[in-house]
Amino acid sequence: MIKKWIALFTAAAMLVSMTGCAKQTAAGTTPTDAAATEPIKLKIYVDYADDDTKIPYDYAVAALKKEMPNVQLELEPMARDDGQKLKTYAQTGNLPDIFQIGVDTMNIFRKSNNILQLDEYAADFKSKLQPGSENLLYHPEDNHIYSFPFAGKEYVVLYYNKEIFAKYNLQVPTTFEELKAVSKTLNENNVIPMSIFAKEKWPCVSLFDVFATRLEPQGIMKLDQLKGKASEEAYKKAAGQIVDLVNSGLFPKGATNLNYDQAAALFYEGKAAMFLNGQWEIQGSTEKLGDKVDWMYYPSYDAAGYEAAKGNWSGGGSLGGLGVSPNTANKEVAAKVASFMAIKYAEAKYTMRANPFVATVVDKQPEVAFPAMMDRLAKDIPNIKSTTGFAWHMTNPKIKAALEDNTQRLLTGTYTADEFVADMDKVIEESSK
Amino acid sequence: MKSFYRNKVAIAIFALPALLLYTLFVFYPICQTVYRSFFNWDGFSAAQFIYLDNYTRLFQDKLFYTSIKNGLIFAFFLVVYQIGIGTVLALAVADASIKGRKLLRVSYFIPVVLSVTVVCQLWMSIYNGEFGLLNKVFESLGMTYRQDWLSTETKSIWAIAFVNAWQYTGYHFALLFAAIRAIPEHYYEAARIDGATKVQAHFHITLPLMAESFRFCLILAVTGGLNAFANMFIMSNGGPGTATYTLTFMTYRSAFRVNEFGYGCASATILVLECLIATVLINKLVSTDKLEYK
Repeated sequence: MIKKWIALFTAAAMLVSMTGCAKQTAAGTTPTDAAATEPIKLKIYVDYADDDTKIPYDYAVAALKKEMPNVQLELEPMARDDGQKLKTYAQTGNLPDIFQIGVDTMNIFRKSNNILQLDEYAADFKSKLQPGSENLLYHPEDNHIYSFPFAGKEYVVLYYNKEIFAKYNLQVPTTFEELKAVSKTLNENNVIPMSIFAKEKWPCVSLFDVFATRLEPQGIMKLDQLKGKASEEAYKKAAGQIVDLVNSGLFPKGATNLNYDQAAALFYEGKAAMFLNGQWEIQGSTEKLGDKVDWMYYPSYDAAGYEAAKGNWSGGGSLGGLGVSPNTANKEVAAKVASFMAIKYAEAKYTMRANPFVATVVDKQPEVAFPAMMDRLAKDIPNIKSTTGFAWHMTNPKIKAALEDNTQRLLTGTYTADEFVADMDKVIEESSK
Repeated sequence: MKSFYRNKVAIAIFALPALLLYTLFVFYPICQTVYRSFFNWDGFSAAQFIYLDNYTRLFQDKLFYTSIKNGLIFAFFLVVYQIGIGTVLALAVADASIKGRKLLRVSYFIPVVLSVTVVCQLWMSIYNGEFGLLNKVFESLGMTYRQDWLSTETKSIWAIAFVNAWQYTGYHFALLFAAIRAIPEHYYEAARIDGATKVQAHFHITLPLMAESFRFCLILAVTGGLNAFANMFIMSNGGPGTATYTLTFMTYRSAFRVNEFGYGCASATILVLECLIATVLINKLVSTDKLEYK
């Protein structure tokens, strides 16, 4: 009896397995094809916080679904926490398959083998890279590729409300003395001269860089690379000038405690006449203020200096973008997805966010016309003689942290230029050892 | 019961799980922190043993002294505010002649159950230099005392300490109130018969009998102040500049912003020592002898 049951069971099992084979053959799918279309899940850790980050991501994901339908992305929005979470993931061996990374974290990951070298997967990306943007892709120390960038060179922009300026018969300031006079008039009329979200420390660094580049085109990057000291005239004067302007009431009360939303609201509600941010604010500011908003060249110490340093811009581009974990189960797919996403990010920024400053060449037409401000800036690009970088482009974490802290202190108005110079030079000296 | 206490095996078995957890989650990480503080380590690459260099550097670092000073200010403010106000409120609510005691008891505790983020956001808007409630109140009173509460280097630490003190006063109030309720009523009856006033009864009965609770509250307030982090992280991000740094914030900066984990461990070790010394001192200075009236 038992033998009969075993024979029946074996026959049934054979029948079932043969049916399975028959079905696959009928569908014309080989086992290799099945593996290729098998869903691949990748965890991605990228900035996903506002229109400027959400729109490009959503656009890239939609495009990826068409290009690689078997790839499923599991998004974890990036925390804006100085890379703390990403570093913790790396230390605990839990890095996401693809992650957004800045240059300082990349340097640590590179040394500790926490980032995949992407040279062999970068052929497609390299063919699309903007000419002259090689510094965004290749690490200067070993000339290898560790991330696929999407942002090109970006700039620090001083926005101003033309309507407010016209209302109080104000001219766009070309010197710091004129800026002080404008500030005085605006304060007398209960208008905040300039809004800045100085709770985030990078705008403080960028403000300092704007002032420093009037005399030293390399700006903060010279300090970062330990090629200069804060006691040099350009930096000392910049610190002194900022303190002077702070004490003349250029910024709102509690500026060092304003976040982006609060600072931007002051500008867009007409309570502040000027606003400091990157060029990525052009689209948003045009949507909110229309043709009332424009940007100005950075003022300088005198008229001659203003003209001479017109081409010295604060901002720039640097390594950074989408990196891949060396521990990912699908290195090739993850690298391909990272490259594809970076290209699509740039495409979305160009076509949907009216931002021409992207890392790769975009062969599509913009869906939204470039605002007049962006056109003006784009036309000015050939006149740019030098750029520097943003705080997140700095490679020396000690100098970066000190500069972030100390430039924010300058905005209190009680921290003197001499104290700034002494504190910065001490850190520079320590880092040089 | 006595025979149970004599049974060392039983004690070991019952204490073992807690001891193991404590060792795993508290003692071992502290030992690791102390050990790592002797290394030059970025948290990723191979660490290099550098003897006491991190400590030598730490004691020459201006930021270290700013952090210590802020921790002490924070602790001092918490002690004065939380224990001072907490005691007054507990005494008031314990008084049977006060009406609405139940409501007061609950309302004092409400800030404790709110999240730190909510409380910080609330106070950030109150402190806002341009449009904040606090400056508006001064303005409406005809005073020109408008302040940059969170953006002035000297004031911001006090402003932040106040927020923490305000939030957790209810917690200290609850501990002290429970201590008052534990005092037998007949002590007060005896005092009344002897002709003591309410104030005298509090000074001679209530406060001395609350010594144990005061000691506990003191330890909580002092160590809470010394290792404060969340309030300044949310409200000022340590700023302006480094004006509201504490040792915990300095550890965070060293580890995550500057990538100097070894140096961060050194400041964390000092913090642990600071808290230990404070706890030992409080235990020594505040009498541990249980006071009893017979």
